[in-house]
Amino acid sequence: MKQKRELVGQPHPQCFFSEFPAESDWDAVIIGAGPNGLITAAYLARAGLRVAIVERRYEVGGGLATEEILYPGFYSNMHAIYHLMVDFMPAIKDFDMERHGLVWIKPNLQTAMVFGDGGSLLLTRMIEDTMDSFHKYSDKDAVAFGKLMRNWRRIVSEILAPATYIPAMPPIDLTVAMQRTDIGREMLELVEQSPLDIINNHFENDRIRAFLLYISCMWGLDPRETGIGFYVPLLIDRGMNKCYLHGGSHKLAGALSREIVRAGGTILESSDVIKINRHNGSVTGVELMEGRTLNSDVVISSLDPHTTFFDLMDKNKLPTDLKDSVERWKYDKWSFNTVHVVSKEAPHYACEDQWVDESFMTIFGFESTKQLLAHWDNVVAGKIDKNSLGGHATCESFLDSHLVRKPGHISFFQMHAPYGIDGGWDKRGPEIMEAMLAKWAKAAPNMKRENIVMAKQETPKDIEIRFPNMRRGSIKHGDYTPIQMGCFRPNEACSNHSTPIKGLYLCGASTYPGGLVLGGPGYLAANRVAEDLGVKKWWKPTKEMERYIKTYLT
Amino acid sequence: MNKEERYDIVIIGAGHNGTTTAAYLAKCGLSVCLLEERPECGGAQETCEPIAGVRIQPHAIANYGGSAPGWEQLELWKYGFRMDWKAGAIVPFNTDRYMTTTDGLSKVTDKDKMGYAKITGLLTDPPFFKDLMRATFWCPPHPPHVELNENTIPFMQVYKQHQPDMWTRELLEWTMFDLMDEYLDTEPFKVNQAWIALVSGAHGHMEGAAIPALCSVATVMPPAVAMPVAPRGNIHGYYHALLRCAIAHGAVVRTCCPVEEIIIEHDRAVGVRLRDDATWGAKKIWANKAVISAVHIKPTFLEMIGPRHLDSGFLQRIKDLSLKGGSLYMTHYLTRERLRVRPKFQTPGYRYEDYGSFTGPFFPNDSRELYFENVTEVMGHQRNLTIPPERAMYGMVASETYAECHPQSTRPGVYINGPQWMLVPTPEYNVDGMDAMEDKVKWNEYMRKALSQVVENLDSDNIIQILGESPREQEFRNTGMLGGSWYGLRCDRDQWWNERPLPELARYRVPGIDGLYLSHQSSAHPGGLCLMAVGYNLMHILIEDGIAEPGDWWYASPWYIPEEGKISAIPNRPSSVSTR
Repeated sequence: MKQKRELVGQPHPQCFFSEFPAESDWDAVIIGAGPNGLITAAYLARAGLRVAIVERRYEVGGGLATEEILYPGFYSNMHAIYHLMVDFMPAIKDFDMERHGLVWIKPNLQTAMVFGDGGSLLLTRMIEDTMDSFHKYSDKDAVAFGKLMRNWRRIVSEILAPATYIPAMPPIDLTVAMQRTDIGREMLELVEQSPLDIINNHFENDRIRAFLLYISCMWGLDPRETGIGFYVPLLIDRGMNKCYLHGGSHKLAGALSREIVRAGGTILESSDVIKINRHNGSVTGVELMEGRTLNSDVVISSLDPHTTFFDLMDKNKLPTDLKDSVERWKYDKWSFNTVHVVSKEAPHYACEDQWVDESFMTIFGFESTKQLLAHWDNVVAGKIDKNSLGGHATCESFLDSHLVRKPGHISFFQMHAPYGIDGGWDKRGPEIMEAMLAKWAKAAPNMKRENIVMAKQETPKDIEIRFPNMRRGSIKHGDYTPIQMGCFRPNEACSNHSTPIKGLYLCGASTYPGGLVLGGPGYLAANRVAEDLGVKKWWKPTKEMERYIKTYLT
Repeated sequence: MNKEERYDIVIIGAGHNGTTTAAYLAKCGLSVCLLEERPECGGAQETCEPIAGVRIQPHAIANYGGSAPGWEQLELWKYGFRMDWKAGAIVPFNTDRYMTTTDGLSKVTDKDKMGYAKITGLLTDPPFFKDLMRATFWCPPHPPHVELNENTIPFMQVYKQHQPDMWTRELLEWTMFDLMDEYLDTEPFKVNQAWIALVSGAHGHMEGAAIPALCSVATVMPPAVAMPVAPRGNIHGYYHALLRCAIAHGAVVRTCCPVEEIIIEHDRAVGVRLRDDATWGAKKIWANKAVISAVHIKPTFLEMIGPRHLDSGFLQRIKDLSLKGGSLYMTHYLTRERLRVRPKFQTPGYRYEDYGSFTGPFFPNDSRELYFENVTEVMGHQRNLTIPPERAMYGMVASETYAECHPQSTRPGVYINGPQWMLVPTPEYNVDGMDAMEDKVKWNEYMRKALSQVVENLDSDNIIQILGESPREQEFRNTGMLGGSWYGLRCDRDQWWNERPLPELARYRVPGIDGLYLSHQSSAHPGGLCLMAVGYNLMHILIEDGIAEPGDWWYASPWYIPEEGKISAIPNRPSSVSTR
């Protein structure tokens, strides 16, 4: 456990001004100001609670980070850039984000995949445009896609999306509830299949399969694992509805933090929580490394289970079941390695379809499902094959002039990568970056050295250093596997956002429904705390949630 | 989506001064809209993490604002303001201090310390240090009808009242060197103070600049703040508290909203029009009471208003405002091991192994001849430095002097050292061309050689990377820093107090355009340094004009003189809050 420092944080005797006190009292203290911590704090602050939210970094936002890593003069979205749930996230409606000046852009051309022979596939907001591109390879698949998406869209908008913001149900209850409708039953059938099975069953062309498999699994699904098949319709549908937040993802964090402050909440950045205080089994507050104490009967942690239960508390005083389940917690199977570049020209892909250059996301490097699966298998085994790698790229400045303070374009190329790579990132990093740049130049021939002004690599190791709670580069705070999903995330005792320890709640991506800026855990934790404390909720479920509750839960 | 919105006050630019102004006005109950062109608010009060785990402050570093009324009036502690007091922080007068010169260490003598204590108001009981600082920075320039002399200029009043033996007309004529020659002892200490003044806004060698220059140094020294002078979260942490004060009082803040035009109707500023790519549905923002430009004075008049509303004589004078003075080249060094000072610069008790053993040097403080050699090169010849790096003057703040529990580098095995700055030609005037300092490899190496005079292990084995930033790049990323100038315009006699930026603009108003006020370091007294001063001073004017009506928390500067025919900014209360 980290040591608390004496004296630091005490005002100097000759200082003229007051500082934040060494000890202070709160109704709720939230640990970690990522999207979920901010959402929980914003709901509870507006509900009238005196809220303090503590963040270790110098800036709030967690993965909602738009930072000047291509220093000086160029900002990049370090993590969350593709916002999948803008259409459904209650916080966006409840806090009227438009009033905060937030503008989301949803391009029609969402994702392209380009191949070595100049061929390409497109995934678009409009189903028909996607079908058009599929026709180039398979009329049958194009028709199948159109037909499939009509149902899958309903599965997403009527079941999966609203359920994201409703407490997790035990599988047996869920199964019973889903029997009520056709699409519910169809969804249940998908659950039992692996992503690879689902894609293979519906599509015949290998390029189309590889394309849809990448989109389905890119956020960390094992393509061969059963029990998580419902993610395929969710991620394909949401993959057709990704939004870019104009001005950078951090604007959402900024808007949420303004909501907290407007409602009287306090944000303390650059503060490391070193301990969750307990007395007679109940939490009493937190200790900060700088020497300050925040007293509160309610502490809400957005951190992963290891950090919350083992690093900030005495693990030997935990209930045995809880301790065991925390010990079993598995981090993400893969992380990302990202090369951010400033270039004179935007990437121009060697592709017969010139529309590809406008794509929000462009996948390249893979010619077949076999090659794609081989890359993922390598990654899980801690390897990168420099001759056969691929990933996705985005040119941020194509959508957003604000990230660029000097003439030029910014883009990134992101690839699935292991945290624990053979040889270590310090040693392997430079050659992998070279290999990625070479691959990029092959797909987009103008991305050669003479076009690139600056390049910076952010490895999985860097992710952990920059965002200490993305342990092992886990952007979702923990793997998506059947035993870490739904009411098992992070474990049965904590998936409803309360814990066996009185006053301690969880609100982070390691709890139901998970990561990816869904805003689900933060919203559900706020509901849970409000209910437990008997605080009147000023918010109401969205109309999609109400319809879901009416159809399946009442 | 509303295409137009309406507020009492629209402020352009969410840097330090625009945000201070927003906080003050929001606290007065006015509806305030604060517009920022960059993705992040803060202006020069910024922190960035260009490499995972390595945090740097590209511009402002130190908290010069310890004496500001803003701490009390805006209650920044409520919004999370904290300092990083290093355990055992001390004031300098009871400990040994040394200046670095080419020949090694030069001890600061008792005469130096006592002289310095005297001129900065620390010897009286109670001390008048805070009064001196407030008189210098936190008081709006007097109205035109007041004659400026040794009896009316605020800092002169302070000396007259508290240290009458120092009070002489000559204080208004002296250079900072004259003042120091009168009261201090050793040349290296004087040179050091003059150089800090040079990069802090007031040129210590210029006539009449003695007290402003002295105060620009003293305000960052104890006891205004103890060592180190870094707020928790660094200077951006200080900014967060300021911004949140504004937000908590209802200010609306919008980033990525560049302003294209200040809308003027019937000689009155009534709102702003945003640039086409602004990230906001609203494209015109109307101001019922005032538009406040907290961006650089040149774009304010030359681009956002322009010749349609201003005469060419006035515009020429704006064009002519000199950007020279505050352009700095800056480096940070990522190293594998802690920097070690050469034996001849090791002070007694130096232990390399200790956290914080490397405190940034200011070097070389040999003599004022050397000081002038550097100044002549940069200001006179306006060319890239031809002085050998061994003789180039620079300053440095070492990251490890912040609190140990607030490390600047959390990257395992990596030390971050810096910033180190050097005064360089302003790009716009550089005889070698605007981009003459863009050869970063060359200038990083120049800086490295200069620092290597004091540090012995700044070599290729130790250095992982040098992060350099040229004035041109500073101007790109932060348009408030035209010319890369850290303080907008230098505080020379023609651009200080009643002359800043031009005599007719010195009271923050714009003659001929009602409802338009200035609140940028380049456009208003006292200029730069994150003092919460421009906003405080502007408050007096906005009260005079009937725009701001503050509550009981407000107090005016004791040296403020109301303008005839206007509302006085002095609260009409039985007992106004003491400033002590």
